[in-house]
Amino acid sequence: MIKTKNIEKTYKKPSVTTPVLRGITLSIHRGEYVAIMGTSGSGKSTLMNILGCLDKPTSGQLELDGTDVYTLDDDALSALRNKKIGFVFQQFFLLERTTALENVLLPLIYADNYPADAKQRAKKALTNVGLEDRMEYLANELSGGQQQRVAIARALINDPDVILADEPTGNLDSGSTHEVLEIFSRLHQEGRTIIVVTHDRAVAEHAQRILELKEGQIIENTTSSKPENSGNH
Amino acid sequence: MARIARITRESFRVMGANRTRVFIMMLGMAVGVASLTLMICVSKGAYEEVMDIVNRQGPDLLQVRPGTDKHTGLPSGSRAVVSLLEEDVDAILQHIGNIRAISPVKDRKEVEVKHGDKFTLTRIFGITPVWSEIRDFGPSKGEFISEEDLSFAARVCIIGQTVKKNLFGDTDPIGQTIRIKDVPFTVKGELQWKGISSAGRDRDDRIVVPITAYTKRLFRDIYLTQIVITVADISNLDKTIEDVRSVLRERHKISAGEPDDFAMRTPQDLIDLAYSTTRSLINLLTGIAGVSLLVAGIVIMNIMLASVSARRNEIGIRRAIGAKKRDIISQFVMEGFLISMMGGLLGTMLGFGGSIILSYLKVAASRVTLLALAASIVSCSLIAVVFGIYPAKKAANQSPVDALRT
Repeated sequence: MIKTKNIEKTYKKPSVTTPVLRGITLSIHRGEYVAIMGTSGSGKSTLMNILGCLDKPTSGQLELDGTDVYTLDDDALSALRNKKIGFVFQQFFLLERTTALENVLLPLIYADNYPADAKQRAKKALTNVGLEDRMEYLANELSGGQQQRVAIARALINDPDVILADEPTGNLDSGSTHEVLEIFSRLHQEGRTIIVVTHDRAVAEHAQRILELKEGQIIENTTSSKPENSGNH
Repeated sequence: MARIARITRESFRVMGANRTRVFIMMLGMAVGVASLTLMICVSKGAYEEVMDIVNRQGPDLLQVRPGTDKHTGLPSGSRAVVSLLEEDVDAILQHIGNIRAISPVKDRKEVEVKHGDKFTLTRIFGITPVWSEIRDFGPSKGEFISEEDLSFAARVCIIGQTVKKNLFGDTDPIGQTIRIKDVPFTVKGELQWKGISSAGRDRDDRIVVPITAYTKRLFRDIYLTQIVITVADISNLDKTIEDVRSVLRERHKISAGEPDDFAMRTPQDLIDLAYSTTRSLINLLTGIAGVSLLVAGIVIMNIMLASVSARRNEIGIRRAIGAKKRDIISQFVMEGFLISMMGGLLGTMLGFGGSIILSYLKVAASRVTLLALAASIVSCSLIAVVFGIYPAKKAANQSPVDALRT
């Protein structure tokens, strides 16, 4: 599903060059629930941006669902993100003064083919995250946990191959954190591929597999001790 | 739904969610377009007024007056200058081909005219029969002066509507005798109603008599106050003007280098004269329109640039979920375009309102014209694109990662 080969990322400033990723080679299978763990500065967010095709590495290769990503131009990358990747961010990044429903519909605006049943799909996605009675609320009228659930619904609307979540619970209280992690587990059981980037071991523990990142390298690749609950690989 | 339609809808939605910003941008545009609209309305009004004058006077009309100050617009009767003679008229007719009609004119203002116990002061014109055709000023009742009247210096007159009202009230004046400077004249007809001239004179307050009777029976004036000419072929107007000038200069023995002792007034002079009053207003409004449209463009650009940084996260998330660079450009340009259009429409309405007020207050003969609406639409689109494309590109060219940084 996702394969990287020797990914390196170096930030160059006139005086110093800072290596952030130093040769990341990994492979994530369809249906897997993977956590990328590390402290701040370990390069996990940079890796997440690269896996999400938002950023390009200094060198290395990324293959997504059989496609060599770095042969694509900017437009094709946009289309790829639109179709294959669902993003969930720590800051939710919903459009303010915009209803939950419209936020969820946003990816479809940029889809190659706008489905005739777009609204129904968005409603279904919101129902799926338990927000059926909040559809017409503006984003800024919702609680943090609700906003993050809207963001998850938005990530799901295009039926992506992979959901990339960057510190999805970083801004949430424990109750909402629990809700969001529940949803991820359910999505995983439904066969979705999920990658969660976090610094929080308790969050990472929900995944099947934990990749631990330190100073730009994977130092550990452990399969969770939790009972296997994935449906189909 | 097509992609661009979705993005347009999205632009509308974002605008609805950011009404304050939209309103400020609209206002800048509205001021610019309002001046533009007003400028066009005033120009249009001035143009119509000029064309009205030209059409009333005739585009083929040449007026020759004594003196050199052709722009004063003073009534010719009040001039003390002497230079034109009836022989000049004969000479012009003899030497120049492109003349359809020519008439000498003598006139005096504030001449005493009586009928019974009624009394009025009016302007007396001595003319020839073709004058009526040249000035398009014929009788509405009765008859005009004939060639016979002219040869016999007949004591007949045609009276204007104001004179008729002053001397006869509602009764029929034709066949009655009035006394001009105590000389009895028979009223042969009434002049058609003409109203107030562009210079504000009552064109109906006049009496015309045969120029021969004017000279022999009323005033012993030798000099003409005017020669009126219509040309046969308008396309040769300029050459005819020069021909008339050289005939007159020769007859008046003006040596080369000396100024004319007469002035010719052409339709072009009328246009210039009529425009001169509104020209400064038009120039002022054009300046204001130009400057304020430029300012509006810069305001739009600045607010858009500011909103590009304020909306960095929005742009980032749009890019992350699949917006292409050109989608972002479309959205921003479309927003600028729609705001500019709304501002433009508001401005057009303000301008039309201003136009109505200006003409109501008689500051300028302003006309509401759809041309102004067309001009607003064109200038708004241009400004939106010219000033919107840079911020839009700036928005689109941010890397998604940078745009998503908080």
